Amino acid sequence: MICSRVMKKIVFILAYAFAALAIFSYGKVTESDNLAIALSGQYAKKMTDASEKLEELDTAVKKTLLFNETDGSEKAREDIWRLSSDIKNSVASLPLDPSFSTSWMNYLGRLGNYAKGSDRDGDYEEYHKVMSQASKNLDELASEWQVATAGMVSGKLSIKDWNKRLDSAHSEHDWSGMGTAVKQYTESDFPLTASESDSMKKKELRNLEDPKVTSDEAVDRFKKFFPSVSNDIIGVEKSKPGSPYPFYHIRFSENQTIGYIDITEKGGHILSYLAERPFGKESLPFEEIKKKTEKFLLEADYKDVVFEEARENHTAWHLVYVRVEPEYDAKVFSDVIHLKVAKDNAGVIGLDASEYIRKENTKKQEIKKVDWKSFFHSNVKIMKNELAYVENDRLEQRLSHYLTVTNEENGKIGTYAVIVDTETSEVIKTEKL
Amino acid sequence: MKKVMIRVLTIVLFLGCVYVTSPVHTGAFSSQQIARGALGDDVIELQSRLQYISFYKGEIDGEFGYGTYWALRNFQEKYGLPVDGIAGTSTKKKLADVSQYNEKFVKDNIKKGNKFTHYGGTPLASQVKKGAGKKGAGKKENIQLPSKYSDRDLKLIANAVYGESRGEPYEGQVAVAAVILNRIEHPEFPDSVGGVIFQPGAFTAVADGQIWLTPNKRAKEAVLDAINGWDPTENAIYYFNPITATSEWIWSRPQIKKIGAHIFCM
Repeated sequence: MICSRVMKKIVFILAYAFAALAIFSYGKVTESDNLAIALSGQYAKKMTDASEKLEELDTAVKKTLLFNETDGSEKAREDIWRLSSDIKNSVASLPLDPSFSTSWMNYLGRLGNYAKGSDRDGDYEEYHKVMSQASKNLDELASEWQVATAGMVSGKLSIKDWNKRLDSAHSEHDWSGMGTAVKQYTESDFPLTASESDSMKKKELRNLEDPKVTSDEAVDRFKKFFPSVSNDIIGVEKSKPGSPYPFYHIRFSENQTIGYIDITEKGGHILSYLAERPFGKESLPFEEIKKKTEKFLLEADYKDVVFEEARENHTAWHLVYVRVEPEYDAKVFSDVIHLKVAKDNAGVIGLDASEYIRKENTKKQEIKKVDWKSFFHSNVKIMKNELAYVENDRLEQRLSHYLTVTNEENGKIGTYAVIVDTETSEVIKTEKL
Repeated sequence: MKKVMIRVLTIVLFLGCVYVTSPVHTGAFSSQQIARGALGDDVIELQSRLQYISFYKGEIDGEFGYGTYWALRNFQEKYGLPVDGIAGTSTKKKLADVSQYNEKFVKDNIKKGNKFTHYGGTPLASQVKKGAGKKGAGKKENIQLPSKYSDRDLKLIANAVYGESRGEPYEGQVAVAAVILNRIEHPEFPDSVGGVIFQPGAFTAVADGQIWLTPNKRAKEAVLDAINGWDPTENAIYYFNPITATSEWIWSRPQIKKIGAHIFCM
């Protein structure tokens, strides 16, 4: 009797729990469906926006082709830059095939930059040639884009089906083909300029011509620079074949310190070194930390660098040193060395010299006099004016006035770095410090 | 008697030497010099004292930036001290002489996330603006970053690093942060931290919600190193876990190196 009562209770509780679970699951599924519908709607809107803006972009490109002087097409060129940037943002926020979206974003960025920079170059013949081809390519791209996004825009495809179609190796739409086409457009319409190519080579260290070092020699170099952590090496691996420049990746673990160092195969230069260990609570004075760091830099043969800035954090200081070009005694900000120095014993626990290895090729440049009083607003005070080589938006190294200026802003002092080309007086960069 | 006199004189001379060579105690601050880039309690005191005598109008946050630097230079100029923007012994002593510092009051308010309308000169209660009623609201990360990055960038990248690679070695965590930063600089990707991290399909942690886990100190430290210039990936813009990756396309990317469970590629 008691047993049957208990059984009844259990059945009742189970039935109740099952019903509650069913209602909860139904609610969750409905909620999830609603979210998916809302998300599909958002994506469809962004795809439609991108289609409309793509047409506007094409029209803006065509408008600029009507004039022989850049003045007449100024507004349209601004539109090209704005619209290409807008579409780039839309593309970035849409779930698309990665090879297509990356190629397309690159193309749009280069199109916008070309239109923006064309007034400076003044070569209208070249502009006409490039933009005529770009317009043709945009036409083709717009129609491909409409076909590709039709299902999503018309609401026939759910976000789930859209993602499935993207992931499918045998998708009915050839996204990778579209990606390849856009890549070809980029290469033909906006090939890399000499300075862009130089900048890329520097970054990837492709053109190092120093003799090769063996892995043993790389280890010896590591031991020479960092004797206190290099006695227990866990492994030495060579970079994978896809790396644009070969290097040795050395991992170590000594006492409580573990880390890695990357050393180039050509020349045995240190690319990057980073160690991790527990830190003591004491802090050495910054003067001592800086002194020891500079001693390390001299011993490591980084003799042409000067201190630029330092930032203290909880366990370490991050210090920045830049190369000085002797002709003008100008800092070269692209030839930089980053150091991480422990506060407890002033030991170098991090070094990144990858941008220093291949030094920038700087050129002589005229220094024209600038009337700073008329250049800046009367409220602005120039606190420091030094010469420096800085990369402009065409990726050229330009000798510049590196000005540290202040301006009173609502009772507080705002500090800015204003970088002005010594020859053309172009403002290369304005940065809030 | 003569021996005793010599001993007393030696002791006096020794104590005199110790006094002369030891750092002058300013009655405030630690014995260290404080310069631009510094962080911590000494900077909090420096900013508070400068604000107390109306030289500094910025936030009292313990970060020695340009605002503090100009205020300190103006103070040094006014009091006839060498104008170098560094708080050395003489500057700290002068500052301690002409200002007041209620350490407990200042630090308690910073801890609570309150901001100072102006420290000094008025009743204590009217010197602070409470942090929007929430505990710790408006509390800063208290980390010194290069000027082009914000606390918000650090937090967001740390979330992504923790969500994507918390089981990885430290180098692997710095590497994930470096990939995010490399993408921002790359023409084929969005040019902001948020744009890169939330690009659809870019990071698994965004898709599965792990990006919203609270990052630990190690993840933040890894991001800090990447933001300060370290790139263990040697310019990679992609990475993947070869055991779990389902995309055929990712295998077609030129590979650079393997760190922990991730392969980093171009």
